[in-house]
This record gives sequence, C-alpha cells and structure tokens, in this order.
Amino acid sequence: MEDASWPSHLDSIVEEFRDCFDSMERYELLFEYAKKHPSPLSLDEWNEENQVLGCQSRAHVKCSLDENGLFLLRAGADAQIVQGLMAITAIAVNGQSAIEVSKLSPKYVEEMGLKSSLTPSRANGFLNMFKRVVSEAEILSEV
Amino acid sequence: MALDIQAIRSDFPILSRILPNGKQLVYFDNAATSQKPKCVIDAMTKYYEQYNSNAHRANHTLADEATTALENAREKISQFFGTTPENLIYTSGATEAINLVSYGWARYNLKEGDVIVLTEMEHHADIVPWQELSKEKGIEVRYVPINNETFTLDMDAFEIAIEDASLVCVTHTSNVLGIRNPIEQIIEMSKEVGAHVLLDCAQGAPHEKIDFNNLGADFIAISAHKMAGPTGIGCLLAASERITEMGPFMTGGSMIKTVTTDGSTYQNGHTMFETGTPRIAEAIGWGAAVEWLSQFEMKDIHNHVHQIASWTGREMNKIPGIKIYGDPDNKNSSGAVSFLHETIQSQDLAFLLDEGGFAVRTGHHCAQPLMDALGVPSTNRASFWIYNTQEEVESFISHLKFICERFA
Repeated sequence: MEDASWPSHLDSIVEEFRDCFDSMERYELLFEYAKKHPSPLSLDEWNEENQVLGCQSRAHVKCSLDENGLFLLRAGADAQIVQGLMAITAIAVNGQSAIEVSKLSPKYVEEMGLKSSLTPSRANGFLNMFKRVVSEAEILSEV
Repeated sequence: MALDIQAIRSDFPILSRILPNGKQLVYFDNAATSQKPKCVIDAMTKYYEQYNSNAHRANHTLADEATTALENAREKISQFFGTTPENLIYTSGATEAINLVSYGWARYNLKEGDVIVLTEMEHHADIVPWQELSKEKGIEVRYVPINNETFTLDMDAFEIAIEDASLVCVTHTSNVLGIRNPIEQIIEMSKEVGAHVLLDCAQGAPHEKIDFNNLGADFIAISAHKMAGPTGIGCLLAASERITEMGPFMTGGSMIKTVTTDGSTYQNGHTMFETGTPRIAEAIGWGAAVEWLSQFEMKDIHNHVHQIASWTGREMNKIPGIKIYGDPDNKNSSGAVSFLHETIQSQDLAFLLDEGGFAVRTGHHCAQPLMDALGVPSTNRASFWIYNTQEEVESFISHLKFICERFA
C-alpha cells in the first residue's frame, strides 16, 4: 500500500463504482455492499467506548490485530451508506499491517464518485469513522 | 392576499443556485435558517463599505452614522414585534436570549425550591440553561409531556405542572413537529398561578406576527436568521418590570456607568445587557429584514407555508413506509414536516434527497427529550418558508417516492 492511494485489491471495487451510470446507481450499489457485509459488530458490542460521536446516526468502530499481528477492522453503522463504505474500507485494510493502514487516505472514496461522503460537516458519517480507523492503526502500529 | 412567490424568489439570489452535482437547489431547511434577501445582504455590505465604525463610542461622522443605524434598527425591530426599543435587548440569537433570562433574571430572582416548568418539546437551548440553574440553585425543573397521538402538549399535565411555579418556559412552535402551542392559553394559565412566562419564538417569529405587548409574556426569545435576517443576532424582548429585576449577565465595556479600582456601577435598562461592541452590521441587516418582511402580512406567509406543508404531509402519508411526526394539516402548524422511513435510515435518506438537490435537515434537531418521547433517535425534516413553491414540493415528493421505491 502506498501513501495517498489504496491497496490494489480494491481496484475492482473502485472500478465498479466508477462505472455506475449516475449517483443514485452508485448509492444503490453501496446499499448492496452494506447488505452483503452487515456489521460484524453485534449490537451488544456497540458501546460508548467504540462509538464515533456525532449527531446524525450511530456508528461504532473496533480495531485490533489478528492472530498474525495484522490489522482487523470491525465496524457497524445504522446508516447504510456509512456501513457500505466501512465494509469496503474493511476489505481495504484487513490483513494489512497497522503501519500501512495508518497511512491510508480516503481517496478511494473520492475515486468511487462518492466525494460528498467525505464532507466534514456530515456529522458522524464515514469520514469520522475513517479518521478513527487511521488513528487506531497508528496506536496499534506502536504496539 | 395571495403572495407573488416568483417576485419574492427574485429577491433571493441563492435560490437560483445550481449545486455541484448539477441539480437545482431546493431549500427546505428553513427551520434551521432562512435564506436572506438581497436587501439584507446589501444593507450589511453598505455598512462595511461606507460607514463601518464602532457605535456609541465616538463623535465622528462614521460613528454617528453607525450608532444611528444600530438604533434605527432597534426601533424597526421592536416595532415589528409590537413593543418599544427599551424592551428589546440585542443578543446573539434565541439561545443567548434564553441564557440571559437564566443568568440575568432567574439567578437574581429565584431561590432553592422554586419551580421552573418546561415541556418535552423544547429545543436544548430552552432546557440546558435551566438544568444548569437547577444544579446551581436547587431549583426544581418539571417537564410537561406531549400526547404521542396528537403531538400536542398535554394541557391537563400542564395545569398540574404549573402549580407553585415561578417561571414557565415554552416554545411557541416546535422546531421538530411544527406544532404551534396554545401560547395565549399558556400565558393566561401561568399568570393565574403567578408564574412568569418565557416564550421561545425562534420558530414562531418567521410564521406569525409576534405582538409582545399584547401577548403579555414576560420574556420572548427570537433569532434573526430564521426570519430573513443575518446569523449572529437575535433579541430578548422583556417586560419593563422584569428588566428592572434583572442583574448583569456578561460584564465589560458599554454596560457600565462608572468603573474604579474599587468596583463598578452599571447602566439601567437594555444597555446593561449589551456589553462590548454591538453586533452593528447584523442589527442593520436584521432591520432591513423586518422592513422587507413588513411588506407582507404575516398571516399570508403562514397561509402560503401551511398550504404547501399540508399538501406535502398528505402526499407523504401516501408513500408506503413513511411516517410523519406532527400534524401538518393542522391550520396552526408551521412549515416543518418531520418524517421517517421505516427501513431507510434518516441520514441515508437525507443523502439521497441531497443527491436530488433537496436540502432537508436530519438528526435530533437539538431536541433529544422530544426524540425520546417520540421513541426515535432522529427524524428527517423538510421545513418551508415564504419562497418555497408548490412545484418544489411536487418535485420533492416525486424524488422521495423514487428513493423509497428504489432503496427500501
């Protein structure tokens, strides 16, 4: 994984979104990703400690290292758009080293044609969750 | 009289904006803030370009012009709200106005064991200041519940709650439900038991004539930015008797008579509560806004907004999965229509509406106790004002149906 880029195994997903006819088709595809990849965090694991604070929806992130010492992201959100983007982010980061994940930029979301999901004012949206993932990766890379 | 909506729209440059995705903006977030007519923008620009100066502080020409404009705006705004300049205290908005009552009146006049009555409908701005005061002074805070069927205040519970109350704080119109409370009855009942009344008119003032002296409330909080004025300014309308009972809230320049190293003495009246450099450009902008609004009858604005809100509510009710929180058909309701879809999460729905160019609000609307009472974490809210059109709501309903069919 290189800085300001994404892992190559995400290319086909980015391409799939890029090829959508319009933004509504793109969101439809994102909803499908959310449905195919529901939250790996069960509801009783949604707690204050892993909550991403905001005002519009509930979102939770749990990051750890697996038995091989590689990054494992588990995230859940009640908004399907956020859930879909986190599912794709999990595909991007899981199995990578924590240090690689700490350098990840959300550029792939922009390339997927979902730039509006990266607007900072979208309280408790994807960007807040993404920042949490990167910051937890930084901490885990120091372990 | 029917309003000429197209002529009104031409006063608002922003309404012709095309969004980055190529869609025409359809602005339905008026309960959060209204758009501003060109005359308001021009009045503020003219101040900065031609007579920007501090008010009440110097004898040069610019200072005189700035002071005159600031006080002329106070005159116009107070007249618009049926009172005198002496009863209008400029604040940053309704939030600061309510805090001013809490810090500047209640803290000086209420004591441990006194009772303040709120409702479940209140905006956080009319809850948190009272919770803080309660913690500090041991004041009891009571909440009047809403009826979940009618979305109106439970007036039987209200009658019980106000027994022995010192202060009753009620929103004129709910920012979530669009429900207008029976404020005349609330004032009368409160006065009968000797309680003072604070009305939060942040949502009410853009939709109906607020006649302070005739209403008989002790305090009224208003924000300019929801009624064509700029952000950063609002006012507290306060009865003369209550002003004499108030003490300093924020202290510093302008509000003093004398300052020595031994202590300070304070101005009387509204001047005591307007410390520091006034919000001069904002006051001038608000003055221009009320002048602009004065060309219309407020009841015509209400009727227009009610017509499109009630039509929208009826059409939403036909869409499978949509539930409305409020009663847009009620002739007293304002233009706020809160709704949820049973399977499309509110934030997702707002994103998808935004893709069509429709600006709606999503979230708890700074009314978490009301969300708890309704049993939901958030709602979507479309809120209309004077410049919104039937064509806009028709295209909104059409896009909403499309989303529900495709994403539910």
